Amino acid sequence: MEAAAHAASQTDAEPRTYLNHETSLWEWLTTKDHKKIGIMYLISLAVVFLVAGLLAMAVRLELMSPDFSIMSASQYNQTFTMHGIMMVFLFIVPSIPAILGNFVLPLQIGAKDVAFPRLNLASWYVYMAGGVLTVTALLVGELSTGWTFYTPYSSQQGTAVIFMTGAIFVSGFASIFTGLNFIVTIHKMRAPGMTWNRLPLFVWGLYATSIVQVLATPVVGITMLLLILEQTLQIGIFDPALGGDPILFQHFFWFYSHPAVYIMILPAFGILSELIATFSRQRIFGYRAIALSSVAIAMLGFLVWGHHMFVSGQSAISSIVFSLITYLIGIPSGIKIFNWIATMYKGSVWLQTPMLYALSFLFLFTIGGLTGIMVGVLGVDVHLHDTYFVVGHFHYVMMGGSVIALLGGMHYWWPKITGRMYNETLGKIAAGLVFVGFNVTFFTQLVLGSQGMPRRYYEYVDRFAELHMISTIGSFILASGLFLVLGYALHSLFYGKKAPQNPWAAATLEWTNVAAIPDPHNFTSTPLVTRGPYDFHKADEVFGGSGDGQARGDGAGSDASRLTPPEAAPSAPKEDASA
Amino acid sequence: MSTETAPATTESVETEHDHHPSHLQHHFVSSEQQFDSAKLGMWLFLITEILLFSALFVAYAVYRNWNPVAFAEASSTLDWVLGSVNTIVLLTSSLTVALSIHFIQKNDRKKTVISLLATLALAGGFLVIKYFEYMAKFEHGIYPGEAFAPTGSGYEYLAAIPYVPQFFSIYFVMTGIHGVHVVIGMGLISWMAWRAHRGDFSDEWYTPVELTGLYWHIVDIIWIFLFPLLYLV
Amino acid sequence: MAHATDDHAAHGHHIIPIPTLLKVFGALVALTAITVGLSPFDLGMFEIPVALGLASAKATLVVMIFMALKYDNPVNMLTFSVGVLFVAIFLVFTLLDTAFRGDMDNVDRLTIEERERLNEQLQESDVDAEDLQVAPSDMQ
Repeated sequence: MEAAAHAASQTDAEPRTYLNHETSLWEWLTTKDHKKIGIMYLISLAVVFLVAGLLAMAVRLELMSPDFSIMSASQYNQTFTMHGIMMVFLFIVPSIPAILGNFVLPLQIGAKDVAFPRLNLASWYVYMAGGVLTVTALLVGELSTGWTFYTPYSSQQGTAVIFMTGAIFVSGFASIFTGLNFIVTIHKMRAPGMTWNRLPLFVWGLYATSIVQVLATPVVGITMLLLILEQTLQIGIFDPALGGDPILFQHFFWFYSHPAVYIMILPAFGILSELIATFSRQRIFGYRAIALSSVAIAMLGFLVWGHHMFVSGQSAISSIVFSLITYLIGIPSGIKIFNWIATMYKGSVWLQTPMLYALSFLFLFTIGGLTGIMVGVLGVDVHLHDTYFVVGHFHYVMMGGSVIALLGGMHYWWPKITGRMYNETLGKIAAGLVFVGFNVTFFTQLVLGSQGMPRRYYEYVDRFAELHMISTIGSFILASGLFLVLGYALHSLFYGKKAPQNPWAAATLEWTNVAAIPDPHNFTSTPLVTRGPYDFHKADEVFGGSGDGQARGDGAGSDASRLTPPEAAPSAPKEDASA
Repeated sequence: MSTETAPATTESVETEHDHHPSHLQHHFVSSEQQFDSAKLGMWLFLITEILLFSALFVAYAVYRNWNPVAFAEASSTLDWVLGSVNTIVLLTSSLTVALSIHFIQKNDRKKTVISLLATLALAGGFLVIKYFEYMAKFEHGIYPGEAFAPTGSGYEYLAAIPYVPQFFSIYFVMTGIHGVHVVIGMGLISWMAWRAHRGDFSDEWYTPVELTGLYWHIVDIIWIFLFPLLYLV
Repeated sequence: MAHATDDHAAHGHHIIPIPTLLKVFGALVALTAITVGLSPFDLGMFEIPVALGLASAKATLVVMIFMALKYDNPVNMLTFSVGVLFVAIFLVFTLLDTAFRGDMDNVDRLTIEERERLNEQLQESDVDAEDLQVAPSDMQ
């Protein structure tokens, strides 16, 4: 705020953007701009993803062959524990809402900012405090509980568990703050004309996510607190030696952690809807069905947590009920998949990098979802529980679903975030490497699991050696793809071509009504919304009806500074070979 | 609470901000939008509080269902007179905080401050009574968890009943976390009283007082459920 | 606040009259008295429902009048209701396990091997035992 005058002086040289406005480190650290907070989250989460990813590589390396070893059994336990905890609690749960949600949500609904900008900043600091506690947990001792912290093992471990559960308690507040902020923002901050039926589907996805965050996260908070009290005071709620019930801990844990799966996947669904509609040049098929199925999944997601506990010794009646409701989740998920496919049907599909990720998602998430139904079957789960089949299944959902969608979304909004285009050819190569590497790594694990390979084992019998080797090789391919993404992303920051305002010819507000790099206040004037988010046939400003010629729809491959005649909908823009 | 930075917006470069009231933040269009947002945000926060406590209520329900005798015996050692008095104290504090909002809506700052200070005093009274209750238990070796070692007449027999420690663990954790909320509430109410005294609020704008009131009522509601479950049944 | 002029009318905030607040307070105290007064009596299975019913009545009064939800934007009411609904879900589904824990105990206590051995013994002792083979494990 203080630098308003200072910013005004900059307008002489180049247009004021959020990136050249208030640029000192102190101004970044105290910013209330949702876009900058999104970027701060992006950097923090990228570090977490890198560390947790390297831990995964270490796990795969250890398991490469039965004879080969790079660490002790105890170190192995700590490695997969930290991989799981960091990926779940500190990366995937916050990832899409905190990075892309923060950046895109106010832009998509025509707001100047989220409803509570200071709470938004606070959420980043709370998240960082959780990160500090995590590092402390790593330093003070061995943490080998797995990411699930099952009692009684976890309540008898050392101080590392206290710090780690403390970290999850604290970072849970970051998640609550974000969710609360988004719900209020979506309810109260929409631009004139932005009715609920005109909300971009990414916003609907974030809305459903936020409901889950607000309702579920407090329970994991209190669970972690009780676990800390169990360790310090031996209050005997979870530890059977003190009269407690360890299965009660699992109920408490999964009451959050199953809905947390939907915290991870619902915003990914939202991104998918944006990508599929934009790159098919077609109105989304079944807008209302997709929007409401997100909310339905959010609600149903609370009724199925017991399917993680079929072999825990919970009552048979609850297993049956939980199993039944688990099947129901397949309905809204299926509705989405079919609607996306129907959207592409007879559309002008434009295979840019984000769309490649979207197509990967459709394939991978379908496998993830179907294997999820398999492990939701009572009898089948008894065989598959705690095997690599489960590992494969949730990686297909979390990584194949959530992370792939995040990558697609990052590519899609990268020009808006940075004002630069990335290298399209390298992008496509990386998308291919990620897709192939992912399937080689995790499809193998589905096979391993169905043959009986238990999860979290340090050693295994020789007959699994070949499949483990294949899985490890796949993980190297996957990692190479991800490092390639990191490489060309960093390159584009400095050497990428300047992005036009709307390189994808998308029809949502963040592309049509916001400058190439957004203004600190997002919109120069509050937009008046007169059409739906995917009404390409009404989007004159995108396809040149208004004659301003800003948007071209031929995207990354061409020289961004040259204005080319706008393409008419719905023909697919031609790809430029120069990329 | 979305309040402190109110004056910052006056420096905004955009012309549409020209005649905004000083409490209005730059990204809101109207006071009404800001007020509604703050209130919805508060309600969302309140349901996170409810869900936070819900896990403790679930734990209570599960163990009470399994060990009804132990829970009845342990519960009978709690002082229902002090519990009842504390219930009335908290209910009265809810009334006074509701009155403070009534008075600020009528722009009566003096009575607002008095009501808030009365709330503060009642909250303090609640904690004092709670302190004496805790001390009475600690004297007889009734601690949460491992340290549980009942001594003295009227308590010794508890040692022989299994799962009694569970009851007291849940009792101390529930009332302890509730007590923490009371302390936080007292901080907020003091802050509101001071700001009301300073003249920050008027019938035009009193959002922070209202939000603090909502928070305080939730603290009261949780006690409304804790009291019969722990002391009476 | 100096230049706030036209916002107040738009708020339309409901001011709850003091007599209403006092009446609600009186009702709350009365309900507390009833709760305490009932506690010495053994209501058997109705003890918990009565206590919770009275507490819910008190909570409803506080939420509706003191917290002004009755006069408030419906979305806040919806928010609160959803919160309460999910507490109920949490409670009911957890109790569905703990209240019925061990309901699989009525299955055969014999292990499969023991049952097979028993089956063999039966077959040796009785030539017509083949007619009794019903389960897949019997067929081996």
